[in-house]
Amino acid sequence: MSSVLYQKVVKNFGALNVLRSLDLAVPDHKFLALLGPSGCGKTTALRILAGLDMPTAGKVFIGERDVTRLQPRDRDIAMVFQSYALYPQMTVAENIGYPLWIRGTPEAGRKAKIGEVASVLEIGHLLDRRPRQLSGGQRQRVALARAIVRDPAAFLMDEPLSNLDARLRLTMRGEIKRLCQRLSATTIYVTHDQVEALTMADFVAVMHGGELQQMAPPIEIYDRPANRFVATFVGNPPMNILPAALCEQGVIVAGKVVPLDAARLAACRAASVAEIGLRPEDCSAAAVDTTDALPGEIYVVEPMGNETLVNVRLEGGNVSVRAGRDFRGVVGESIGVAFDPANACFFNSDGLTAVHRVNNNGRVT
Amino acid sequence: MQTGTQARKYRLQGAGLDLALPYLMLAPGLTIVLGVLVYPLWDGLRASTRAYRYGSPVSHVGFRNYVQLWSDAQFLNSLWVTVKFVALAVSVEAVLGFALALFCLHEFRGIRLLRTVLIIPMVITPVVVAILFRLIYASDAGMLTALSEAMGGGGVQILGNPLNAFIGLVVLDVWEWTPLMFLILLAGLQSLPHEPFEAARVDGAGSWRVFADLTFPMMRPVLAVAIVLRTIDAFGTFDQVFVLTRGGPGEATRLISIYGYDTAFKFQQTGYAAALFVTIGLVVLALAFSAIRLLRRIDAS
Repeated sequence: MSSVLYQKVVKNFGALNVLRSLDLAVPDHKFLALLGPSGCGKTTALRILAGLDMPTAGKVFIGERDVTRLQPRDRDIAMVFQSYALYPQMTVAENIGYPLWIRGTPEAGRKAKIGEVASVLEIGHLLDRRPRQLSGGQRQRVALARAIVRDPAAFLMDEPLSNLDARLRLTMRGEIKRLCQRLSATTIYVTHDQVEALTMADFVAVMHGGELQQMAPPIEIYDRPANRFVATFVGNPPMNILPAALCEQGVIVAGKVVPLDAARLAACRAASVAEIGLRPEDCSAAAVDTTDALPGEIYVVEPMGNETLVNVRLEGGNVSVRAGRDFRGVVGESIGVAFDPANACFFNSDGLTAVHRVNNNGRVT
Repeated sequence: MQTGTQARKYRLQGAGLDLALPYLMLAPGLTIVLGVLVYPLWDGLRASTRAYRYGSPVSHVGFRNYVQLWSDAQFLNSLWVTVKFVALAVSVEAVLGFALALFCLHEFRGIRLLRTVLIIPMVITPVVVAILFRLIYASDAGMLTALSEAMGGGGVQILGNPLNAFIGLVVLDVWEWTPLMFLILLAGLQSLPHEPFEAARVDGAGSWRVFADLTFPMMRPVLAVAIVLRTIDAFGTFDQVFVLTRGGPGEATRLISIYGYDTAFKFQQTGYAAALFVTIGLVVLALAFSAIRLLRRIDAS
């Protein structure tokens, strides 16, 4: 296993600028999720690491080795593709054994290794089948087996779960995480699903518009987003953003003064804060006349079973509130949205986070 | 009022018309098929069991025409020439077509123009192609002779020499029909999924292994279809030979189609020629069926 390093990597497709100077370091044995909306350049970044695309400028290192100009086969990597990319004419055993066979591993060693990874992934009974005779989940397992059959410097995964149905995705998510921990493998995992990124990764790198927005452990990404984009992309429902204006005692949000302590207020002033960010779970539904609660009216009520999502229309825009499962509000009803200002973060006019939340809900970041 | 119109509508679209309509619609097409396909086939089969004199049937001979074929040295020779011709031409076309298709899969400047140019031979009328090649091969004023003389050599004998004439015919067929192979195989290559190839590159395969382990196995069904199509088509080659050599010199390029033509129209043995063509038809049919069975087996595995 090895670390992975992107150094000022640029990729243009003709006039299209897909990656603008990507700098990214993945420590040895760590699981990094490359997270971003489609078209953000995350898959391109992965393909450049794999050697399937060449960067326009910049360098890529695997371990100490500069692999920028090397062929994929000389990079000592294994990759799982979104469509699994199994070899249709080969049996499952031949598929799994292919990376070994091509490197001249003797048959006995190959067979033993195939049997070993097949039993890890519980596909031992499928070895004589062909890919087309397998279900989506089984193909996924075969693709994983083919990747782990060797002991490569790094694992590359390109949205491996996106072709599975919702239930299977949950199962495989846990299994891949377990597998990667067990192998203690350096893994780069591309996904557009923030839940996958948060649940599986040691580090999450959020990308947008060909640029790295933030790289941090999942909890930090969630609690201390670097900017407005990260704040709203991570989290479901996304963070509420409302316009905020500075005043004597604090900030004015939705027509109400939200008091802030002296230190945070000074920081907000220094950064000329323009917006406030609030996680839905940090908001609560209150009576409309509660002190400090923002007055609004219920817009949509979505009972989820374990909780109720309430969308409230305020003066500056709508906010989502996670209310209890016993919430009984009616659309159109007046309601107050209460929150602890210590849980709020503030963005300046460029969308960068100027002031982070104070409370980490007891978590250490 | 309303019930009245409805009743009339039902009468017009009564059960009788509803049943007859599809057949009425089919009738013109069916008539044409019967006239140009089924009747001639049946007539041919009938003719193959008769003996003809001066173009008219004179007696029924049963299967004697068919039996006679297998002791006819000229028939056996033309069959052998045809098999040699088909095997040689189609295999060269398959290899060349595959190589060209692989080459044209890469994107580079001028690739569209190249793909278009490569298809041109296929769309030229076969007789024109044959005339073209006669101009190239002609021993007195042909292009090859001119070339050879320009380089200080003598005249080149192509159509007058049995072996050269046969090779010349194969070259003509390869020139004309490699584009078809190329086209089918290129379409096949372009329809293959990309990811397995990328996976193989990551897994460590070089260009040759990618071809041997992925491209070729995945292309086998398409290749089989292309070869079967060309084989069936090549068995019927007629116009090129007719223009180029008429089967000569001697019997060197006398394909089964030429021999059949001679039998029917030169020697006026209509019944015998019919038996010959029915036999060849059956051979080609058997070839096609076995090819389809082969395809199914490849598909199933």
